[in-house]
Amino acid sequence: MSASFVKTKRKTWWKDYALWFILPAFALYSVFVIWPTLSSINLSFTSWDGINPDIRYIGFENFKEMWNSPRVHNALINTIYLAIALVLLENIVALALAVLVDKVRWFRNLFRSIFYFPVLMSGIIMGFIWMIILNYNFGVVNQLLDAIGLGNLKTDWLGNPDFALLSIILSTVWKAAGYYMIIYLAGLQGIPQELMEAASIDGAGRWKQFRHITFPLLAGATTVCVMLSMIGSLKMFDQIAVMTNGGPGFATETLTYIIYRVAFGEGRQGFGTALALVLFILILLISLVQIKVLRKREVQM
Amino acid sequence: MRKTKARIRPGDVVLFAVTLIVAILFAFPIYFNIMSAFKTNGEILRDAIAFPSGFYLESFKYLLTKTDYPKAISNSAILTAGSIICMIFIIPMAAYGIERKNSKWTNGVYIYFLFGMMIPFQVYMIPLFKQLKTMGLFGNLAGPILIYIAGSVGFGVLLYTSFLKGIPREIEESAEIDGCSRIGIFWRVVFPLLGPVTASMVVLQGLGIWNDFLMPMLVLPSGEPKTMIVELFFYVGEFSSRWDMIFAGTTMSLVPVLIAFLSLQKYFVKGVSSGAIKG
Repeated sequence: MSASFVKTKRKTWWKDYALWFILPAFALYSVFVIWPTLSSINLSFTSWDGINPDIRYIGFENFKEMWNSPRVHNALINTIYLAIALVLLENIVALALAVLVDKVRWFRNLFRSIFYFPVLMSGIIMGFIWMIILNYNFGVVNQLLDAIGLGNLKTDWLGNPDFALLSIILSTVWKAAGYYMIIYLAGLQGIPQELMEAASIDGAGRWKQFRHITFPLLAGATTVCVMLSMIGSLKMFDQIAVMTNGGPGFATETLTYIIYRVAFGEGRQGFGTALALVLFILILLISLVQIKVLRKREVQM
Repeated sequence: MRKTKARIRPGDVVLFAVTLIVAILFAFPIYFNIMSAFKTNGEILRDAIAFPSGFYLESFKYLLTKTDYPKAISNSAILTAGSIICMIFIIPMAAYGIERKNSKWTNGVYIYFLFGMMIPFQVYMIPLFKQLKTMGLFGNLAGPILIYIAGSVGFGVLLYTSFLKGIPREIEESAEIDGCSRIGIFWRVVFPLLGPVTASMVVLQGLGIWNDFLMPMLVLPSGEPKTMIVELFFYVGEFSSRWDMIFAGTTMSLVPVLIAFLSLQKYFVKGVSSGAIKG
């Protein structure tokens, strides 16, 4: 009798509290993330300029324009180039840093902190520092080239369309590699030492150990790092804003950057929203494919 | 741990030397930034690598007395602290409701929240911009704070629910028998146990907000000082010949980050690895 009373009382009480606990987060998230995301579908079929209260629907015009616009194609190519280069370089550098930190005998924590610190910097600050380092007249890079007698290699790194995107990529590797290093390091430290010892007794050299034991066992960390660095590179914005503003010409204009420029610089918010939707679909597709492909080569322990 | 007092092999020295060189390359841009903040503009242009000749503080003085930078510093601080405090009130409670209730509808809400982690800000920024104007939130600090909280719900709920799974319910049940209300149980019994997640949350989200650029630039009123990062971005264009001043500004933005990192290092590292689990 009394037991069943407690039970029913408890049930209505549970119902109440979970609802009220979740409600504030639910409301804010729905109003400030989901609602604008859904209304972007609506807005992408308009020619809205951002100011005019009279919003005109133009059907698929924005998407047609995107399909035919050389500027959008250029941005897409830049984005793909940037994403592939960043994923490869960031992961190679991060893995190398992780191996160094894992194997070095002295000051291990200090080295880890040094490699990690750039991750904590804002893209604006990091971009400014590198802009000065790469400056044509007074930058450290060109001064060094002069000092070692390679002055003829000097160039305006950010002003030359051939090198601008490459300069942004390399400085971003400097900024981001430390983040992935932490993930690889956690993976490395999870590999049992006995495995290495057994391999070395069997006569496997350092490279063979790395190639056949360490690397396959890091597949889980690699999956995570490749995905995160791919999405990070697709969303990259701050460095481009401060270092080149998408220039020279359109040499460093990526999808994220063209969205911003078109919507807030040129007052074409309808077109900007359509581009943003395409970026979103691209990110969704890439994430799904990567999860599928990379999960296959993970080794279970 | 594993190398106990082994003798020093030449391989160790070589490896150390390689690591040291790489570390110098990595640390150089930060060294360059902080040194340049204490140099005159002429010194930066003459020799970028050298130590400053004196302890030149004019660029800091100029920045703090002749520009909008102090207002920008306070805006950055208010945005970061305000958003973090609200997040810590709202998100762990939602995660607790989801994890402990564990019914069909709360699982649905959980998936709905996680979906938000896949949506980049650039996807919804244009409609959001429009929406803030109609809601009357455009041009004050409340708008960005609400946006930051909403944007962190997915990641935060994921972090908190996975941690809550490891906390046994028995503790709560005994508090319940003692007649504690559900909200009392949460704040007095459960929340203190969530300390490590809360620390990671504060550190990672706080850093993200402190360093954020695009959103505050778009939604804070033009013509008034915005946040430190946004002002620095404008200074790069405006004071293109006063590098010393911009370096003083970046140093002021980096120092709190450096202090937080040195004192809370393990939470930064933990946050990265827990964030990585979601893959």
